[in-house]
Amino acid sequence: MTVNNVVTIRGLDHRYGATHALRGVDLTVAAGECVALLGPNGAGKTTLVGALTGMLAPSAGIARIDGADPRRPATRRRLGVVHQQAGFPRTLKVRELVSGWAVRAGRPASDAEAVLTEVSLHDLTKRRVTALSGGQQQRLQLAMALVVDPTLLVLDEPTVGLDIDARRRFWATLAARRDRGTAVLLTTHQIEEAAAVADRVVVLHEGTVIASGHPADLTAQLPDRTVTARTALRDSELRALPDVLDVTVADGRMRAASARAEATVQALLAADPTLSDLRVEGATLEQAIVAMTTQESQEVAA
Amino acid sequence: MTASILAVEIRDELYAIIREPTAAFFSIAMPVGMFAVFATLFGTEGNGPVSGATLMLATFGAFGVISVALTPGIGIAEDRERGWLQVKRVSPVPVRTTLAAKVAASLPVAFGVYAAMSLTAFAMGLFDTDMGTWLQIAGLLLLGSLPFALLSMAVGFVARGRAAPAIINAVFLPMAIAGGLWMPLEVLPAFVQDLAVWLPTYHTSQLGLGLLVGESIVDNVAALLAATAVTASLAAIGYRLMRAE
Repeated sequence: MTVNNVVTIRGLDHRYGATHALRGVDLTVAAGECVALLGPNGAGKTTLVGALTGMLAPSAGIARIDGADPRRPATRRRLGVVHQQAGFPRTLKVRELVSGWAVRAGRPASDAEAVLTEVSLHDLTKRRVTALSGGQQQRLQLAMALVVDPTLLVLDEPTVGLDIDARRRFWATLAARRDRGTAVLLTTHQIEEAAAVADRVVVLHEGTVIASGHPADLTAQLPDRTVTARTALRDSELRALPDVLDVTVADGRMRAASARAEATVQALLAADPTLSDLRVEGATLEQAIVAMTTQESQEVAA
Repeated sequence: MTASILAVEIRDELYAIIREPTAAFFSIAMPVGMFAVFATLFGTEGNGPVSGATLMLATFGAFGVISVALTPGIGIAEDRERGWLQVKRVSPVPVRTTLAAKVAASLPVAFGVYAAMSLTAFAMGLFDTDMGTWLQIAGLLLLGSLPFALLSMAVGFVARGRAAPAIINAVFLPMAIAGGLWMPLEVLPAFVQDLAVWLPTYHTSQLGLGLLVGESIVDNVAALLAATAVTASLAAIGYRLMRAE
């Protein structure tokens, strides 16, 4: 089966003076796919997005959108971007901004109407953009990104400032667009949100991709599990259980980190017939990423 | 499609000038108001058959047109600081189109300022020129404001939003006074008169004055071309610095 890659990044390398921000990064995003680009501050996410959106010329390697160089303005005609903050002009109204954005992308100004309805801003079309709330401004940014009928959406912390309901609607809108083939590249520090919406997570650390895969596959790589239960066993007895790494006990409830949960649970059940409220939790994506980046740093230091 | 993009960019820039009361006051109301005051005080003192108020269309007209020509740089600095320029940079609109639109949008506003001053002179019965000359002066003033538009862009590319108008006014207002835009050079100290010939403000006003009193403006055009080359270079340097941010 042929995969239609909207984003193709090969050997992307970039330096800011002595700082090596990106070190030969390879990345693809297929049509309809949502890829979350995660990593700590300074990992190179902003530089990668800058190269992909045509903001900067990489020192080496290529970044392409639909096979074309994003440094060329025409390539960005079907690129939608949602920034953390847009800093809208004070003097424009909602409809003026979105219809103008459509025209800039070579589309009819009238396309704005449907998109404003799609993001639930149709009642605010005559309002000055700076009079909108933070959440409404984020939806306005989404409207600007959608009105270009994007093949690629680049989202930078897109749901900051949105309440739960607005987040749900935001991701529902995105899901509908993805069904129509729009590729999504998401950068965020809200890792569990990324885990919920992304098809694939790419972990960037010090300019290098250190992991890539479905969120569940990445968390599965981390053997640690957390076992919790109500038990009569004492702290020293809990620590003696097989494969236990750490134990805390509070209000009669133990919480043990285990390197092999199956063995720990079997021993726990055997040792305490009164055991109740037993739970085993897998590692979160955040824990997995922290473990990966820590291990990577230790290996580099060694 | 390029024409429609430019049209949208110009529309947005016009809104930025017209819907922003502070900018409209300093760029439009203040020069026209000052013209009215000075024309009332000195409008009858002229040069031969040309009234002082009509001569002031060249000098205060230059002040008004240049005041508007300086607004693109302020807009650029504000857009940069807010992050809007970054949003524009990932759009399909080339940066040069955005910059051209800022200058283009200032032209009708600048013409409006010149027209408002002319109407004031007309209402005072001191409008002593024909329509052809009046339009030629307008065209020359708009062309003569180009180095100032470029200078403002140079400032806008590197200065912070709030600092840009302060820097631009700190440069422009002394140049306006010393260049003879507010009052005739003859009433200013000799060293200011010596300094004036080095200032582009002086040469912009001389374009209109030369037409009104029938003197050659070749030297003034040459001086303004040189000023345009210098400010264009400064704008190019500022642009590179901004891109490197």
